[in-house]
Amino acid sequence: MDRRFFLKTIGAVAALTAAAPTSGQAAKQSPSLRYLRPPGALAEEEFESRCIRCGQCGEACPNRCINYFGLQNGLASLDTPYIIPRDQACILCMKCGEVCPTDAIEKVERKLEPILQKVRMGKARVDENLCLSYQGKTCGVCYRACPLQDVAITVGRLEQPHVTENCVGCGLCERSCIQLPHAIRIIPDYG
Amino acid sequence: MTPRPFFLWKHLNKLRWMTLVSIFVMLILIPYLHVYQTFLAAHAYDLLLPEEKQLYDVMEIITRPFVNDPEEQLDAIKGSTWSGTFWGFQISDPLAVVGQIAGSLKLYWPFLLTALVPFALSALFGPFFCGWICPATLIYELNTNLGALLRKAGLHIGNKRYDRRLKYVVLLLGSIIAMITGSAVFAGIYPPAVIGREIYYAIALGGFGSGAVFFLMTLLLDLLVARRGFCRYLCPGGALYSLIGRFRLFRIKRVIENCNDCAKCTSICEFGLDPLRDNFGQECNNCAACIAICPTDAMTFYISPRDVAYQGPGQLGPRYRRDMGIEDAAA
Repeated sequence: MDRRFFLKTIGAVAALTAAAPTSGQAAKQSPSLRYLRPPGALAEEEFESRCIRCGQCGEACPNRCINYFGLQNGLASLDTPYIIPRDQACILCMKCGEVCPTDAIEKVERKLEPILQKVRMGKARVDENLCLSYQGKTCGVCYRACPLQDVAITVGRLEQPHVTENCVGCGLCERSCIQLPHAIRIIPDYG
Repeated sequence: MTPRPFFLWKHLNKLRWMTLVSIFVMLILIPYLHVYQTFLAAHAYDLLLPEEKQLYDVMEIITRPFVNDPEEQLDAIKGSTWSGTFWGFQISDPLAVVGQIAGSLKLYWPFLLTALVPFALSALFGPFFCGWICPATLIYELNTNLGALLRKAGLHIGNKRYDRRLKYVVLLLGSIIAMITGSAVFAGIYPPAVIGREIYYAIALGGFGSGAVFFLMTLLLDLLVARRGFCRYLCPGGALYSLIGRFRLFRIKRVIENCNDCAKCTSICEFGLDPLRDNFGQECNNCAACIAICPTDAMTFYISPRDVAYQGPGQLGPRYRRDMGIEDAAA
């Protein structure tokens, strides 16, 4: 190999290496991007290094809620799966973990106990100023959308929702919320 | 005249093309099946758009003979050649394993074992993946043919040659970058992984991603700079498979008694190897193109962990006769 060409290659690669983490970090701080990882996903850093970007989680998802990052979340997240609950939320079928070859998305049995233990996509939070039920107009849509009714979410007077500690963050409440901007939304938990 | 090689070897190249095409068709079919499954899961045929209904009907006709419960049974085949699931059995590219170990600096055994079958087959057959399975190979070889057509039309096509060892440098540097940044670098620069993903994005998610740009650039590289340039000089997967298959048992050799030095084998070889001078090396992926094109049946398979050394000019060729002092019958 030509020596100059070799040195040039090394130089270019070194420059890219230096640029990669910073560009990844810069985009991560973008506050408008609120995404969830699929249910059972490892903590963010570990997830990004464990995931091999094979795309099987998306192919297994019967609800088509798993989408894939382009460059909007930085180079490190390129082609990793994410869920925007407002567009399409997770139905906790746990098929993505089943096909994941690297267990970047852990295998979780589709039962209440394992799901409560291992799934940490985020937690729902109610904005009482926006929520119709807190404004005196009985709604209760989020409660009815929740797959873990009375475990993750309970209702009080006028169907006012109360999110409990057990919420796993699937996002079905946010998806179903009839208010715009949504009164209930998932605060992601990246581990 | 020595006996001819087994007649089927001559047709292996056709079988290879059929394999490549059927794998590519599968890669297109799998995303469509996935979309069909999501329609099934939604239980809302009446709400589908007309073109979605069309897709649903076509997929139903295709799958009906094979499955009773498409919602569950179609889960049997998922993924691409990068990493796939076949009836619960997961197979991954060894490069995925290497890239992941470099990225996370941890050994994760269940995933390591998914690359066992490709690893064992590569140790036996060499980098057969490159010639026989890789979905990018199909497009790259068609691209080579396009280049040949363009050349006939009088256009300038790049035909530079570099050092083939450059791809091992790419493999090493890629692993180092993965270690530093902690992410899967190879998934983004390895054409079969990129293609599998991009086909899925285009069909199921409504548009190509950034990988499509990368793949188009490799096509242009092949066309404008060096024939099959990416595979020959840059592909980290090819490098890894070549290393695994360094002492492969199935090799191609030249039968010197039948060879007439026509050099067609060397000009057909996609990987820039030199069968005419018995120079195969670890990059030969047993694609059998040289066997198919040989006009005198001088190429055959044999089993050995090493290539034969240079055997000299072919005995049907003019150089051999001149060297041996044999008078040409026609002269």
